[in-house]
Amino acid sequence: MGKDEIIRARNQSLAHLKRVYGDEAEIVAADARYGFISGLLKDVLQKPAVEKLSSSDRVDRVVLNRWLGIPIFAAILFGLFQFTFTLSTPLIGWIGQGFDWLGELASGIKPDWLGSLLAGGIIGGVGSVLSFVPVILLLYLGLSALEDSGYLARAAFVMDRLMHRIGLHGRSFVPLVLGFGCNVPAIMATRTIENPKDRLVTIMVSPLMSCGARLPIYMLFAGAFFTAYQGLVVFSMYGIGIVLAIFLAWLFRSRLVRGESGHFVMELPPYRLPTITGVLTHMWERGRTFLVRAGRIILAMVMVIWLLDFIGALEPIGRVIAPIFSPAGFGQWQAAVTLIFGIMAKEVVVGTFGVLFAVEEGLLGQTIATQLGWTPLVAFAFMAMSLLYIPCMATIVTIRRETNSWKWTGFIVGYTLFLGWLVATLIYQIGRIFIT
Amino acid sequence: MAKKVITIALAGNPNSGKTTVFNALTGAKQHVGNWPGVTVEKKEGNLSFGGYRIKVVDLPGVYSLTAYSLDEIIARDFVIDGQPDVVVDVVDASNMERNLYLAVQLLEMEAKLVIALNMMDVARSREYRIDVGELSRLLGVPAVPMVASRNQGVEELLRAVVDVAEGQVQAKGLRLNYGQEMETEISKLEEVITASLPSSVYSPRWLALKLLEEDEEITRKLLGEEWAKTKS
Repeated sequence: MGKDEIIRARNQSLAHLKRVYGDEAEIVAADARYGFISGLLKDVLQKPAVEKLSSSDRVDRVVLNRWLGIPIFAAILFGLFQFTFTLSTPLIGWIGQGFDWLGELASGIKPDWLGSLLAGGIIGGVGSVLSFVPVILLLYLGLSALEDSGYLARAAFVMDRLMHRIGLHGRSFVPLVLGFGCNVPAIMATRTIENPKDRLVTIMVSPLMSCGARLPIYMLFAGAFFTAYQGLVVFSMYGIGIVLAIFLAWLFRSRLVRGESGHFVMELPPYRLPTITGVLTHMWERGRTFLVRAGRIILAMVMVIWLLDFIGALEPIGRVIAPIFSPAGFGQWQAAVTLIFGIMAKEVVVGTFGVLFAVEEGLLGQTIATQLGWTPLVAFAFMAMSLLYIPCMATIVTIRRETNSWKWTGFIVGYTLFLGWLVATLIYQIGRIFIT
Repeated sequence: MAKKVITIALAGNPNSGKTTVFNALTGAKQHVGNWPGVTVEKKEGNLSFGGYRIKVVDLPGVYSLTAYSLDEIIARDFVIDGQPDVVVDVVDASNMERNLYLAVQLLEMEAKLVIALNMMDVARSREYRIDVGELSRLLGVPAVPMVASRNQGVEELLRAVVDVAEGQVQAKGLRLNYGQEMETEISKLEEVITASLPSSVYSPRWLALKLLEEDEEITRKLLGEEWAKTKS
């Protein structure tokens, strides 16, 4: 048979080559190719006698420094949020006023139920989400600039080194950094991880990275409860996400998905000055998804929520679940309802609050504070919950597709829900001891 | 009259500026990240050039065409099975040592290649002197200097693509010498393959080489599942 013959011939050849070279034929072939290239370049390429230490290398000496790397990453992230908030606050106010004006117009529409649907449901719900568009676009602008400049790859490198130190190998952190934009592409990017176990663990912790859709939630509460420390509070959410992702990656890898890790070399692209068109294009690519979602899922969701509210079904649903969250400080039925619908898309949490408390956009945060009796501590616990609990529907679907397993998808949904509840509860209970 | 369609497969290392070249060619507004191998999804774009409709398929960014990662297999399969009219390999002019490895492998696959020698500005700033004409002569394929981020060299690249697609430039094909011992074994295997297998899209020499490199994907395709893992 032909195939047998080929196999026999191949095995003979391999054995022979191994004897002669003392190395796999694969390596011999690679060496031959590199030899060819190096010969070729002798004729083609002339390098200066002394290679300049490139400016990339000089920057990397500082940025990738063993001790400074992580503080610099943290500082840049913090700077990014400060930049985002300082610039977006007035814009958010203007857009909110625009929606208030629209809402007033709409509320005059007859019949009353239609006016209420338009003003309280659609404009109140979608508007409360859309008024945070500037902050999301600005964040994406900053992220795109960091990405295009080559810094984000360094951030991944710095974090990856930390993961090495706690016994985790692999390029796990690279896709995670993408998760700041959106968890879905982050999970897709894990395809570059060759070792299946490393890949699975990276997928498992990807939803903990705080994506753009969570930002409206943070903004709503940070704006109302932590005026002076908005940047810091939001920054801490990202920090909680990163720290938990690293900790759980370690935990899962050492307890749940054991086995050897792959080795790899991490590519560090040279720094480049980002171009304006490039950064704007990338910002728009990310931001567009958000706007499209506001037009489809969020619009549909707020209409469903408004209808359920209108027929009085929301409160009973919320009351069933709310007690679970009492230890975390937000055991009100309204909070429970927002979290249920937030699974569709995290920004729906804000939209649901918008429908439930049909007030002017700028007053939504304060209204929640007074009507639900929330303190800054409760708001903080609720933000942590929103960050961690159950990934959004799009992410769940992606996890299912990429792991090809309902079991792991179910596990991720389950553990994130428990983790969110646990962290929120710890924040509230421990915080109560100090703040009385 | 309908325009003639040319399909380009766009190959290149991660960070060779492949995405920039893709955008410069098609004006596409798709986003692909900058770090290792994010380009997993297949992106396509279209453009018109001198009476041709050119379809550009963006391959995942890879360093080589072995079977070690999904990206590499995707890229390799498209070069062979997708039957592109031209393969454009984006090469970072400031890092040719590593980038040309992929070009060599593509040439060995007898791909109709055009080399886009990108980021010439970076190479220049490091005071590299590159003889592009000599590179093109030695590899036997067109090589076009580019700065894709400033749209330089795009038209020249397209002209080279059309020339190759129309057969105006015949690729010599690269026959690398792997050393006497390797070459002897390659020839032996080549003979057995030619004798016992129907002809395929792969050349017998390339198949022989892949069998010796113990490329699991090709071995499996060639000989069926059960053989893939058998080692000598």
